[in-house]
Amino acid sequence: MAGVWIVSDNRGHALELLNIGRQLAAKMGTCVSALLYKERKEIEDYINYGADEVMLLPSLSGEQSLESYVPVISEEARKGDPDLILFAATPRGKNMAALIAEELNAGLVSSCMAIDFNYGNKTLVMDRLAYGGAAVQKVTCSARPAMATIPPRTYETTMREMGRQGHVRELPPPSPSPIKVIERKVKEREAKDLSEARVVVCVGRGMEKKEDLTVARELAEVLGGAIGCTRPIAEEFHWLSEELCIGLSGVQVKPDLYLGVGVSGQVQHLTGIRSTKVIAAVNKDENAPIFKAADFGIIGDIYDVMPKLISELKK
Amino acid sequence: MCSIVSASTAFFLLSNSNYSVEVFLVHVNAERPLGRNDRLDNKIEGMNVMDFKFTEEQELIRKNVREFCEKNVEPIAAEIDENSRHPAELFEKLARGGWMGIPIPQEYGGAGADFLTSIIVVEELSRSCASTGFTISTHAGIVCTMVLLFGTEEQKKIYLTPMAEGKQLGAFALTEPGAGTDVMAVTTAAVLDGNDYVINGIKTFTSNGPTAGTYLVFAWTDKSAGRKGMSTFIVPREAPGLRVGEHFKKMGLRSSQTSEMIFKDCRVPKNNLLGKEGAGLQMAMAGFDGGRIGIAAQCIGILQAALDESIRYSKERVQFGSPIARNQAIAWMIADMATDLSATRFLAYHAAWLKDQKLPFSKEAAMAKLYASEAAMRHTVKAVQIHGGYGYCKGAKVERLMRDAKITEIYEGTSEAQRMVISGAVLR
Amino acid sequence: MRVRQRRSGWSSLVLCSAEHLEYEACLKIFIRKDRKRCKFMPSAIACFKWVVDEAYIRRGPSGDLDFSSVDFKIGEYDRNAIEEAVRLKETLGWKAVTVTAGLPEAAKGVKDALSRGADEAYFIADSSFGNLDSSQTALILAEVIRARIREYDLIICGEGSSDFYAQQVGPRLAVKLGIPCISFIEKFLIENSQLIAERRVEEGVEVITAPLPALVTVLPDINVPRIPGVRDTLMAGKKPTVKISKDELPPIGEPPLRTISFKASKMERSCERFGTDTAEIARFVGSLRKKGVIG
Repeated sequence: MAGVWIVSDNRGHALELLNIGRQLAAKMGTCVSALLYKERKEIEDYINYGADEVMLLPSLSGEQSLESYVPVISEEARKGDPDLILFAATPRGKNMAALIAEELNAGLVSSCMAIDFNYGNKTLVMDRLAYGGAAVQKVTCSARPAMATIPPRTYETTMREMGRQGHVRELPPPSPSPIKVIERKVKEREAKDLSEARVVVCVGRGMEKKEDLTVARELAEVLGGAIGCTRPIAEEFHWLSEELCIGLSGVQVKPDLYLGVGVSGQVQHLTGIRSTKVIAAVNKDENAPIFKAADFGIIGDIYDVMPKLISELKK
Repeated sequence: MCSIVSASTAFFLLSNSNYSVEVFLVHVNAERPLGRNDRLDNKIEGMNVMDFKFTEEQELIRKNVREFCEKNVEPIAAEIDENSRHPAELFEKLARGGWMGIPIPQEYGGAGADFLTSIIVVEELSRSCASTGFTISTHAGIVCTMVLLFGTEEQKKIYLTPMAEGKQLGAFALTEPGAGTDVMAVTTAAVLDGNDYVINGIKTFTSNGPTAGTYLVFAWTDKSAGRKGMSTFIVPREAPGLRVGEHFKKMGLRSSQTSEMIFKDCRVPKNNLLGKEGAGLQMAMAGFDGGRIGIAAQCIGILQAALDESIRYSKERVQFGSPIARNQAIAWMIADMATDLSATRFLAYHAAWLKDQKLPFSKEAAMAKLYASEAAMRHTVKAVQIHGGYGYCKGAKVERLMRDAKITEIYEGTSEAQRMVISGAVLR
Repeated sequence: MRVRQRRSGWSSLVLCSAEHLEYEACLKIFIRKDRKRCKFMPSAIACFKWVVDEAYIRRGPSGDLDFSSVDFKIGEYDRNAIEEAVRLKETLGWKAVTVTAGLPEAAKGVKDALSRGADEAYFIADSSFGNLDSSQTALILAEVIRARIREYDLIICGEGSSDFYAQQVGPRLAVKLGIPCISFIEKFLIENSQLIAERRVEEGVEVITAPLPALVTVLPDINVPRIPGVRDTLMAGKKPTVKISKDELPPIGEPPLRTISFKASKMERSCERFGTDTAEIARFVGSLRKKGVIG
């Protein structure tokens, strides 16, 4: 057997994975299967967006965690012998991928920026970042299956084909796992707005006090964008929530415009904004690393420049 | 033959903007035949130096201090200099981390490290804030060390332990308005009266004066005995008759508090005599030998900071279309800075090592302090030059470094006094 | 072979005429039974990696990476793991153990970990351990924990290593040991041999329970790692370190992943500069409009 499998509990990420899944399956001459465990009604959706097969996992009871699926998926993978399994690199996705990889003795490439299939030696080649974003590592996998986690929004959503055909298979229910969920706290959707915003204004250590965030928020509003921050602002000062941290271990944004105010531009942060269309920065330190990574840079006091920007943009 | 490896490696590594500790191996062939100009009684200096490597503990400690400084000292260094403020909150953190009594044995509340380790700590602290490095150096390197060396068990329990734990700051009061390098011109006197000594006099330029809890005070007990007539007393802050006098507004090292100390019929118990009557000068000289190495360490920190800033600035500042680091004039200034920094390190670390080996180190300490302080002054001036107009303005780190560097040529024995010590030893 | 078991729970030595190997096996079973019966204090194992400090990586003249003057450190997130283990020691009286696998030079890291408050360290060193894959690391750690440490209640890992950030060793290790794994924990507590943890997921936070022994991977928000004092660093060398060589382990095998290239990441940008006066700000906004990124 063979196949490219995708696993995601979020529809949006699943559609992105179906995109790359389809591309790779076409190159490898195989099919795409999607594992679904939320809504039955999404079966048709997944098929329309490119899945040849949907494997349906039964819903879990309230206190069961997603880890319960690991033995079922692993067993299915032993039987089905896919070439490649793709996960969305969300916290749950990464955890599941690693657990399943160990069950299958598979190789897992984490936070993959790009995957391609090399026709010549029939291997998958995967790119990822290392050393806090300073290096790009190209990796191949000799174990079977190959597995990879892909950060959200690395690929676009695939095209929809209405009326596409595919088949559905129901998988056995999982046995209860010792891990139990006793409460679910849903956070505000700040992070979601940030990762999908077309304009992002990011505040850094150059901001002197929490109250000054109002000016930054005003600037973001005038630009029609969302506000984000570098790690110290959330972790050390607690001026904004950690979900708004942009960087290697935070949110990766792909806006049209990123404007950093008082951001120095450490490598870990820049990793989160690599794919931005236009990067702009305001900082009084002309030596700040962000200026090497910015298309447009203003060397000046953010408290002087921000109001000027706001008034110019309002014109 | 002796081969010194890596002088160029030293320069290369130190000239990078990230300081890294390098490893040197100096091999000595003890059977080296005497050369034409050798005399049997004139061994070539420093040739006893062996494996010159920091221990893993010292490397880890250096990293930890650096991290501590990045988090706690760098952010406030400019402000405490501007406002001449003693950062009590910083010293509380230093005390909690056990950084206040590094060379003092653990049984007396210290960390129990060797002197070289305490030098590393002073150096890294000074790299962020010379005032903080100096305060720790004086407190632990001179005051605590003197009580450790010469105090009774009772005195150590009552005075040394709280100081080593950082609960109290220590200060030594020797200099007077009329007595600087000329120590014998001191006029403060202590007279035995029943069970107390009564001290009268005025001390000046007492570092940590306003903030200390324990003072070591040098006073005459027997003027007729000349060099053997001075004694040292442990005077607690609460002692009756002790008053902190005028605070000095200084050019540099502004966060370190310096003041006059006024003793007017100041009474201390008889048991507060440190060591023996008449041994005061001898003890002071012993204390200052170690203190000198501390100042050399302070200068290493200042020099390293100056070098870091100069490299960073010269690579970024663009004039005539290229960074000024490409100009030979600037590059040579930085080369000289890095070379003198390396030389200063060797002198200071060697002196500290000799002290730890319980070998004589007085001359080496004087050499280290002399060379380090003159290098620090020379190169901080150059660092400001490299920074141009920006270097002259408040807010530039090199501006503070230059002001801080000047005092290192003056206190704890002026450069002239150091030359007296060195020439005295060499011309014997 | 005879076995006598006294009521107190201590078994006496086996009298055995069997072969050496069998005798050893018997003895081991003995000891294990005893240990289970007389378990003293709970323990937490913190795993860490001694990694290149990326602040020292330079770009070479041709844009490739220059590792010639790098220094090393305990990975950032691993410090949080060690700090959590020491927190359990300081608040609940647990024993804090650290484990690492790496090059012999990582001995300095072992000292660093001990100076942060751990009680003892296990160090598996070999000159071929410079580039271990996550699956290989998990195998080595599992073997040492299973065969040498044996008794533990909680294993704590950082959410990922500072160098490659694969975020796999924790879960892989848990599978190998057959214990539950909860990743990306923001905080946790231990109650009645149960772990109660808050883990971060995409839409918020899940509060999880799991029985001990378990494995957790922790986020950097969970604590602020201490800066060890001088005394802690000096005492570290005196704490027990168990050194294990590669030969004492089963064969490690080839890694499933192979790196075919390693290049400096590039960010090619136009690097235009603007001034701060009104005219320049207008030009800046105009440039943004021209690029079509704002309305």
